[in-house]
Amino acid sequence: MLRELLSPKTESKRVDGERPANFNVLVGKLSEVLVRAVDKPLGYAINWGRLWSLWPVHLETACCSLEFGAASGPRYDVERFGIIEAFGSLRQCDLMVVQGTVTRKMAPRVRMIYDQMPEPKYVIAMGACAITGGLYFDSYNVLPGIDGVIPVDVYVPGCPPRPETLIQGCILLQEKIKRTRFR
Amino acid sequence: MGIEMERGRGGEGGEERIPGFELEGRDEDGMDRGILTLSVGPQHPGSGHFRLIVKVDGDIIVEALPDPGYVHRGEEKMCEYRNYIQNIPHLERPMIADSCGILYPYVLAVEEICNIPVPERAKYIRVIMAEINRCIFELYWLGIYGIFLGHSTMFMWPMADRELLIDLAEMASGARVTHAYFVPGGVRNDLPDAFPEKARRHLLYFRNRLKEYKDIFYDNPLFQARTVGVGILRKEDAINLGATGPVLRASGVEHDIRKVEPYDVYDELDFDVITMKEGDSFARAYVPWLEMYESVDIALQALEKMPSGPVRTKLGPNPKGAVGEVFKRVEAARGELAYYLVSDGNPKPYRVKLSVPSFREIPVMAHLLRGAKLADMPSIYWSMNYWPVEADR
Repeated sequence: MLRELLSPKTESKRVDGERPANFNVLVGKLSEVLVRAVDKPLGYAINWGRLWSLWPVHLETACCSLEFGAASGPRYDVERFGIIEAFGSLRQCDLMVVQGTVTRKMAPRVRMIYDQMPEPKYVIAMGACAITGGLYFDSYNVLPGIDGVIPVDVYVPGCPPRPETLIQGCILLQEKIKRTRFR
Repeated sequence: MGIEMERGRGGEGGEERIPGFELEGRDEDGMDRGILTLSVGPQHPGSGHFRLIVKVDGDIIVEALPDPGYVHRGEEKMCEYRNYIQNIPHLERPMIADSCGILYPYVLAVEEICNIPVPERAKYIRVIMAEINRCIFELYWLGIYGIFLGHSTMFMWPMADRELLIDLAEMASGARVTHAYFVPGGVRNDLPDAFPEKARRHLLYFRNRLKEYKDIFYDNPLFQARTVGVGILRKEDAINLGATGPVLRASGVEHDIRKVEPYDVYDELDFDVITMKEGDSFARAYVPWLEMYESVDIALQALEKMPSGPVRTKLGPNPKGAVGEVFKRVEAARGELAYYLVSDGNPKPYRVKLSVPSFREIPVMAHLLRGAKLADMPSIYWSMNYWPVEADR
């Protein structure tokens, strides 16, 4: 984002012929220096902001939503880790917890919801069904995992996973965000 | 009328048709009558993974067309290629908040078709676990109902109290929600020695705690404003549309399978069937609360009367059913839950049919939503005790 703003290409279009030729080169070098100086701390700050305010989409796909609800309850309380209970628009969300079985009817909708979320977005596959199909591996209407539908960041095994397991999955995702280079 | 005309003009010229948000119907002078078709779900902040196609005229719902099936996992077909014992884990997945309730009729049916005797102690343990699970479910549902009406405290309190009962169930079975505790011929393992004492303590605490729900939730003007007089289901309609469980009892019909057709040891225990006359959303939320008192009483009585002895009949590795069919029903937390099981003499059932209460609430919901305000939709939806995973099976 920062690179695009400071890139010499956009600058040259506007000031063509009005300024000395080497001005663009100068701006380009200056922007590179700026990006190098600002990118790392700024990226760190933005990543830090992201990882402590993950907003999950309110999307249940099957029974694991029960344990997701319990994780938001007072005993487990995922808000301690910056995962906020999901009751809002998916256009403001950046985390999708696929809570269980994805059926043939639900899969296009899951993809549609994922496409509507703004970047950057992360996906947690919760439960055995979302990972491989789980107990329903031989059912005629169940997808063998959601890997073919959306990219997954963290897999949380269990049937259903205990709330502690889900919290550990969230912490793993935060580790991942922390180490990702800011885009 | 004028306001409606104004609003209708906004959608004129049907080129820009956004799926899920459509205008239809015109007056004689070519103006839009302004009937909107809204798609609520499967991702919606006010509903579960279930789609309602709602036609609204202004603020009033003209028609609601339910579109279930987003979690159809083929449970009934899967039963046909697993044997009787292997069917237990996946048959409780449709409703893991009440996993004992949904497994109960299956176990009863298999016992009848395979002719398995059940020890007396196991019957009492089943009743205790079924009632604890009923409370676990009602609390979860109350919490969800509360938060969808904008009452966050009502999400936190039941969720906290629910954990106490989950502790009990976990102590007995080893799993938080998916117990797989009932097996044909009794229960999987005996209760731990410390269970009766701990259960008594937790249940008594829970019964005292229930009183506070009335102050914080049922007497709350916010909750009453959104539920009293909303979605009134008359007694005749409730019977004709096939409502079950708390929805039916909130309309004044005294029908409880535990009384009508007692199974295990329910005929030896003393409890009342809760009914209310109003039939509105408030009554449908109030009946489960009163029923939780009864559940606690039933569990405490069963703890008192429970004899000692074995808890499980020893079975062969692969029990075979006699040729025939069996129909068993119980009162789960959401209503009447029935299994129809056909056997052709093999170790695997020939056909298993689940009749789940949630699926029976769909026509009732469509009936109640017709003529209601759009803003009352969450209040009606969540008062129906409708759980898509169970309904779709």
